[in-house]
Amino acid sequence: MTKTRNLRRILAATSLAALTAGAPSAAPALAAEGGVTQERLLNADKEEGNWLHHHKNFAGHRYSTLNQINKGNVKNLKVAWTMHLGGIEGGGIWSHGGLEATPIVENGMMYVTDGWGSVYKIDTRGGEGKLVWKMDPKTDREWAGAVACCGVNNRGVALWADLVISHTLDGRLIATNKETGQVAWQHQVADPDKGETITGAPLIVKGLAISGVGGAEYGIRGWIAATDIKTGKEVWRTYTIPGKGEPGYETWKGPNNAAVSGGGSTWVTGTYDPDTDTIVWGTGNPGPDWDNAYRPGDNLYTDSTLALDATTGKIKWHFQHTPNDPYDYDSVSENLLVDVGGRKLAIEADRNGHAYAVDRTNGQFLWATPFVKKVTWTKGINPDTGKPFEYDPNKDVQRYNPAATPSAENKNADFCPGNMGGKNWPPTAYNPNLQYWYIPVIESCNRVTHEAMTQANLKPREFFTGGGPSQPFRITGSVTAIDVKTGKVAGKHETQFPLLGGMLATPDLVFTGEPSGGVMAMDAKSLEKLWEFRTGGGVNAPPMTFTVDGKQYMAILVGLGGAWDKWFIDSTPELKNIQTGSMLYVFAL
Amino acid sequence: MRTMVLPVLLVGWALAAPAWAQSARTSAGEGDLAVFKKACSGCHKWHGGGGGGYGGEALSLRKTQLDKDQVAEVVRCGRPGTGMPYHLRGAYDTVKCFDSLKADMGTNMPPETAVFLRAPEIDAVATYVVTQLKGKGEPTLEECTAFFGATSRACDIYRKKEGSDAPSALH
Repeated sequence: MTKTRNLRRILAATSLAALTAGAPSAAPALAAEGGVTQERLLNADKEEGNWLHHHKNFAGHRYSTLNQINKGNVKNLKVAWTMHLGGIEGGGIWSHGGLEATPIVENGMMYVTDGWGSVYKIDTRGGEGKLVWKMDPKTDREWAGAVACCGVNNRGVALWADLVISHTLDGRLIATNKETGQVAWQHQVADPDKGETITGAPLIVKGLAISGVGGAEYGIRGWIAATDIKTGKEVWRTYTIPGKGEPGYETWKGPNNAAVSGGGSTWVTGTYDPDTDTIVWGTGNPGPDWDNAYRPGDNLYTDSTLALDATTGKIKWHFQHTPNDPYDYDSVSENLLVDVGGRKLAIEADRNGHAYAVDRTNGQFLWATPFVKKVTWTKGINPDTGKPFEYDPNKDVQRYNPAATPSAENKNADFCPGNMGGKNWPPTAYNPNLQYWYIPVIESCNRVTHEAMTQANLKPREFFTGGGPSQPFRITGSVTAIDVKTGKVAGKHETQFPLLGGMLATPDLVFTGEPSGGVMAMDAKSLEKLWEFRTGGGVNAPPMTFTVDGKQYMAILVGLGGAWDKWFIDSTPELKNIQTGSMLYVFAL
Repeated sequence: MRTMVLPVLLVGWALAAPAWAQSARTSAGEGDLAVFKKACSGCHKWHGGGGGGYGGEALSLRKTQLDKDQVAEVVRCGRPGTGMPYHLRGAYDTVKCFDSLKADMGTNMPPETAVFLRAPEIDAVATYVVTQLKGKGEPTLEECTAFFGATSRACDIYRKKEGSDAPSALH
């Protein structure tokens, strides 16, 4: 596990392990159970009190069966303990970091990250939190922060064997010894010199750490990569933009050699279907974002759901949502794998404002439904094809609703959802009993000023976007529930601010947080708000739940960072009052 | 982008006293990079070259034709009809900008910054723009390390570009 011969660099991690030596540590019995295996990951839902996967299970449900906290008593939920974390320092173009991670909990030990990728191990036993160690990866903040489009972010860790696996914004994959906090190995998987950064949590499948990359605003060529955790060696890397001679390359036309800078980032953790050994992963926008005339053609595999063979990385099928996208409508969102009505579905809430279901065995489109209140870029999704009604396969440059599309002829375009999407990275949750799917929604419009790009504009570590957004419209939010049996909206709970944190579902409740500071619980069926606590900070991370000492807790990180408070704040001026912070809240009855 | 003819100078601008320059953290009249870094670089980029990005379609400060007072005015008052925010607390409210108050501006009202600047900071950043950015060509390694420091890999691409003759860096 600590082999180093194939690794580029080893660093001596800053660790608090030494400082805490002698203090009570994990009980030996618990430690012995600690090795995470594929078997345990496959059966993660059976470990009711643990939260082993980023998205709770391989299917991405973020559903916990724990029900000590339920709709009858949730009104009594109170803060059990809190812990201040770090990572708020600035770097590059960013004045501060934020918190976006989902805590991972195994046998009472919690693992969280801050925006710069420090990993904290916290002992949650005994009704309080005790820091066991902190691994500071010493991220090169200027190198990474200057090409991070959307904040100083890290969405958390994954577990394998006796290791904690994490990413850093400056593109490293790091394995840390779970007991000692010492770095076992690290490997540079993304290259900030090319504008590549990593914000997502790794997905672990059969001992492979799967990494995605950000940077579609900087002219990258997106990829998904698998690293063997045992050896630290890369096993496969699949580009989301086809190379010359590969299928899909023909969807990049024109004189600009646009495929080389085509984007298709992969910055949100995907899901895994063990029945078919398939990884399902979403891809980001094509580049340049708003000048789609630069890159005539459908621009595969941007804005797509990709199914990859987990062993080889080979693409099995794809489904594209917004061909030749002129809006920045990534499809990076997690695909939840659900079985409904005798069909095996992959469901995804797209930035373009529509929730999609495809057959996950072959990528065949099944249905799409708008989950935002206002869509102006298209009349809707054609139920026969899954493409926007205005999509014309004979046209190389799509205009959809031309009045709402940035182009050389329409230099300032207002469109809804705005470019940050109807739903951004904050994860959805799915209640398999109700078959309700909960989407954290950004109810939005914004304005984009178009800039025609040439190849001369393409420079390493420089934005390559074809214009930029401004925020003349107020933006709000909602929790929107989709009944997956019907594919229709089953309920909408509107919120004053966009939802930038994400969802947690339990048998009869749904939890989420707001950037204005509230953490709330709603009735799973009616979406009626049953409980709220004002954290006094901005929520930018998803809630999760676990048990320790037989008692259920709900945990959430609080610290507004990300893209919103730098780029989109004019649409929510009250959020200017939210102060920078970095805090873990843990609630209990 | 809607256009609006901007009065380029506020004659008699009460606060425009040269005393600012003395109190600002200037080094040999170069202005203040720290202010530029916190208030401008997100949209205008670290090198001031502007262009597209999530901060909007920002103009190039390297190609600007404005003089220092004009730059300071745009920093104070923003650029009506665009995403360029005003940075002076009270602009268009207790203090007129372009001879206008909020009510006069309608949809041309520029956004309010998230980072108000003190008068000496506005002076210092305008000095920085006209002395360190205006008229400059492609960004250089020297400029990059001045901005990001010499211990980060942020400027490696310029080291590669400028070859072994480039100034050595602590790396």
